[in-house]
Amino acid sequence: MSSNPSPAPPAARRRRRLDPTTPGLLSLPLAWLALFFLVPIGFVGAYSIDALSLYPGAHALTLAGWHDLVHGSVYLRLFWKSVEMSLIVSGVVVLCAYPLAYYLALSGTKRKYVLLLILIAPFLTSYLLRVLAWKVILGDHGVINSFLAWTGIRDPDHPLSQLLYSRFAVMLVLAYVWLPFVALPIFVSLDTLDRRLLEAASDLGASRLQAFRKITLPLSLPGVVAAFLFVFIPTVGEFVTPSLVGGTGGFMYGNEIVDLFGNALDWRTGSVLSLFLLGVVAALTLIFSRFLQVQRVTAS
Amino acid sequence: MRETRDPGERRLERSEFLKLAAATGGAGLLAGLGAGTAEARIAALSKLGAESGRLQVLDWVGYEVPQLWTQYAKLYPSEKPQFTFMTNEANALGKMHAGFKADVVHPCVGWVKDFADSGLVQPWTPSKLKNLLSLNPSMVKAGQYKGKQWWIPADWGFDKILYRTDKVKPKERSYNLLFDDRYGGKIAWFDDINQLVLAGYVLGFKKPYDQTDAELKQSQKLLISKKHLARMLWSSETDMQAAFASGDIWIAYAWPADWVAMKAKKLPVAYMTPKEGAISWICGLMLGKDSSRVDHAHAYADAWSSRQSAQWLEDNYAYGHANTKARPKDANLAKVLEVANPNALKEPHTHIDRYYRRRSLYAKLWDEVKAS
Repeated sequence: MSSNPSPAPPAARRRRRLDPTTPGLLSLPLAWLALFFLVPIGFVGAYSIDALSLYPGAHALTLAGWHDLVHGSVYLRLFWKSVEMSLIVSGVVVLCAYPLAYYLALSGTKRKYVLLLILIAPFLTSYLLRVLAWKVILGDHGVINSFLAWTGIRDPDHPLSQLLYSRFAVMLVLAYVWLPFVALPIFVSLDTLDRRLLEAASDLGASRLQAFRKITLPLSLPGVVAAFLFVFIPTVGEFVTPSLVGGTGGFMYGNEIVDLFGNALDWRTGSVLSLFLLGVVAALTLIFSRFLQVQRVTAS
Repeated sequence: MRETRDPGERRLERSEFLKLAAATGGAGLLAGLGAGTAEARIAALSKLGAESGRLQVLDWVGYEVPQLWTQYAKLYPSEKPQFTFMTNEANALGKMHAGFKADVVHPCVGWVKDFADSGLVQPWTPSKLKNLLSLNPSMVKAGQYKGKQWWIPADWGFDKILYRTDKVKPKERSYNLLFDDRYGGKIAWFDDINQLVLAGYVLGFKKPYDQTDAELKQSQKLLISKKHLARMLWSSETDMQAAFASGDIWIAYAWPADWVAMKAKKLPVAYMTPKEGAISWICGLMLGKDSSRVDHAHAYADAWSSRQSAQWLEDNYAYGHANTKARPKDANLAKVLEVANPNALKEPHTHIDRYYRRRSLYAKLWDEVKAS
């Protein structure tokens, strides 16, 4: 900034300061956020250091829960396992959703919104029902294994048991569940793309691949990043899908938190794990949004 | 057990009684009191004790059906209990700690001390429970703590091994079948800290419910080394039954009801009593500390203890019931619950689930098994 903006007339400044519209509009959502997000996080923080405890009586403040997290290998290993699974799911889903969104946004079809509706149609049914339907498909006597046995590719007595109650099953179902959520932000960023840029590229002799690499992909990247985060953030703490189709191999960090609160009555460790997850996800979100300008999606 | 008088209870004066009867339009109440039944007396007293509102029951899913508390429903036809569901005892304790005011809660026997020491429950008054005398005395005794009756036994069952006889050939009658390498990927364990107890029995420890640090390490090591064989850890009986019925698993740590359900599906199954002795669970009712409906709660617990409720539970849910006057109609269930065996629930034949002195350590180690 080389020069200061010209100062507003004092009367106008005073009017702006006294205008109650903005704080009035913001007060309710801010109060909501404070009451139902920040205060509960404060409680969780208090439980993590025993400032609050499930059991009656006096408790000394302690960082033992944090010490256990940092020095105990089990929780961190589970966390990285969940991160790895979520990264794979997010990556695969973005790769699958991109061509889909590309077709819907840029093919010029008049029925793109109808197709978009078809894409999200499964979400008009219950989440539980959709996950349970996968059990029918993936089970030892499910659709896939029955087909493999029928074609003779697989011995009926030795079905592909890794399809269900496994890490693979969790990732597959998560990918299926989140696909439309990924397609939508990418679709929005592609749909609002200025087509004149592509025409200019063509006029200047760029091939379609070059135009995609130099124009379409960079301009749709904020949508891709937003889509990636839309999947990564919720799936890294996922616990419902693993408990339904995960078996012993699909146990995730979110299941550990649920267990600590719900089964082990260890609210201190559960709080520590929850805050750690929150911190990592918040940090990742900040990094992504700062360097890849996710806000452009909103702007577009 | 010393009888204690409830503070809300007071004598019913004739004038008050008439006012009450008139106010409630209680023809049934009049008839009941005229007949002088204990139930009607309890009902009238509880009205005077200002026990307003519906009884709050914190219970397992499936136990909200009125057939399990018919006697209570007859006494209070217009006051259906309000049910809130618990997924396990820790979940129930968590809810109550968080401020949920339960009049009645339904934990299993291993949690009696935990609940009693939490300050969230209070002892029952046995004299208000006429069906208590019909309950299995050893189970009733298991609910006593510090000289008071904190817990009324209700439903029970065994934890044994259910397996497909056409697919599985056990080498011995043992819990070791859950760790059998030949059936890797076809086994279901129970998602509970008592798997460490089971491992303790397999390893031959003297006190599997109170293992030393070294023993717990060994039990945990056994479970971690065999975890890859288990396809699922079940916490929902329905999920496990679905997986068993579909052929996804052949061997499961299971309850008698599961065996009955699989028999009903015409599956060739056996329910094996392991040489280490079966583990048995017993669940029962506890009274909320701050209950403002103490007499209603007693009437509800008494209804649960009745022979009719017991019979219904056995015939429809295939669980055992503490009421010794009830006997399952199904001969198979009667056999599997060993109702004719007076030693069915005695050591060393059966190890009744009990208090874990170091529950949090067991829970931590079990969590590590799952996370491993």
